[in-house]
Amino acid sequence: MGNICIIGPRASGKTTYLAGLSYFNDYAGSRSSYKVQPLNDDACQLVEMAENTILQGSSIAPTRLGDRIHTVDDLPYYSFQIEIRKGLFKPPNILQLNVRDYPGEVFEKILQTNHEDTIYTEFIDECLMADVEGCLLLFTEWESSKDAFYSKLLSRFIAMMDERDRLKNYRLAVAMSKCERGEIWPGRLDPETDLFGVYLKKTLKTLKGKLPPQNLRFFAMSTFGVLGRYDPRPNRIDDYGSGGRASVLRDSPRWNPYNLIEPLDWLHRS
Amino acid sequence: MSIIYIGDRETGKTSLALELANPSSQNVHVLYPPYSQLKALLYRDDLGRTQSTDANLATYDRNIEVEVTLPAGSKKIHTTWIDTPGEIWRSSWQKTNPELWNTFLEAARNSEGVLLIVPPYREIIRPDDRIDLDDFVTQQQWIHRFDRWVDFFQHDCPRIKHIALCLNKADLICGVDLKQEAQQLAYHPYNARKNWMQRHDYVFKRFFQPVRSQLAQLNQRASGLAVKCFITSIQNRELLELPWIYLGTYLQHES
Repeated sequence: MGNICIIGPRASGKTTYLAGLSYFNDYAGSRSSYKVQPLNDDACQLVEMAENTILQGSSIAPTRLGDRIHTVDDLPYYSFQIEIRKGLFKPPNILQLNVRDYPGEVFEKILQTNHEDTIYTEFIDECLMADVEGCLLLFTEWESSKDAFYSKLLSRFIAMMDERDRLKNYRLAVAMSKCERGEIWPGRLDPETDLFGVYLKKTLKTLKGKLPPQNLRFFAMSTFGVLGRYDPRPNRIDDYGSGGRASVLRDSPRWNPYNLIEPLDWLHRS
Repeated sequence: MSIIYIGDRETGKTSLALELANPSSQNVHVLYPPYSQLKALLYRDDLGRTQSTDANLATYDRNIEVEVTLPAGSKKIHTTWIDTPGEIWRSSWQKTNPELWNTFLEAARNSEGVLLIVPPYREIIRPDDRIDLDDFVTQQQWIHRFDRWVDFFQHDCPRIKHIALCLNKADLICGVDLKQEAQQLAYHPYNARKNWMQRHDYVFKRFFQPVRSQLAQLNQRASGLAVKCFITSIQNRELLELPWIYLGTYLQHES
């Protein structure tokens, strides 16, 4: 049983990531090969969501508090069985993954709330519960102006981990999402040095200073990917005026995500 | 969960909703209520048009059951369709009926999707003796009206997720052949010529250039989705269905 949370600021691509993961349910790319089998209704709906929105040139609706989500129990809860094939003669890593998809505002609001019984604390409690192995943290904005904000968010998050005695036994996979963007695509090969070390220095320092190194790893991911091996143009188009927050898949037949499974594989490895 | 139709007076909100229920459907079937029942309720045979929606009430809620054919299979949706009188956008009405206005705001804020129906403006209307140009606003007024729509969505309904912006009465627009447009934009669950982004792009570039800065302003909001542009006319089924198929993608399955 692997309980994993996915958190990150608004519009960091959390639901899109999950939809991409379940759409490529039998993936055999150059870097990884895996099979995903949905185990509950919510997870089955993710595949439909991918077919109806991403492949049709529209974007996935934001998961937000208030719409249908009032308490932790209203959050979408996805359950998958994932088989990661390691190579011809190695046994596959089979994991059952249970993920909660959190609205981004929950994560952003932890900075502002000091009250004990707010809904935000409830969400974070759930996220740091004893049976949660770790969490996949998605970041999307790499502009240096965001560095201070992210770093503050993480100090607060780490403080909350400490309050709940999870500081030494909680795995954190920190990923830069939407890495198909031209400016950061080359940094995907060594995200710790070339993405976080260059653009989000403070965030990197905060994380490395507080967490044991074996529980922290950096990833670069891209749900949309690029157009091809020799065509590194991003496979995405930004919505007019949205400032890059809302974007859609550009060429659906050439959809090839990058590095979707690696963070989960690492999070679940004992 | 509901879909709300908003727009000024005489833009065709009720007609659009009524025609959607027409049994000559392709990808959007209204399973309930039956067309005949709706028509008896909304259509005035003696006037040859739909009855204007009375502003004694701010919202008219009707439960409908729709089946939309999507790429991943057909989806049955149970939703409320809220019709609103265009009258409510007059500031004098808003001042004299503050309570009704609040009822409307509440309904709009809680809606899953908005169909914003706008009429064509005078300059693009096809020359025809039967059309009275005075019924249509000028381009400048049309653009100003958009400024107010931006205000409304930014201040009064900041959390709306989906706005389908429909330029209605497309049959009256100069140089528009509905059949050709429908061919360009037609939806098909498996092999459509355009995807949603391309449809939006096409309609946006052809018809909504004058208000591009207003639409960009709407799209800048941190949460929620971008506005999608459509052209609609009760005389063309394909075009009429498009905004509903788009919204239908996001509405929950009937449980």
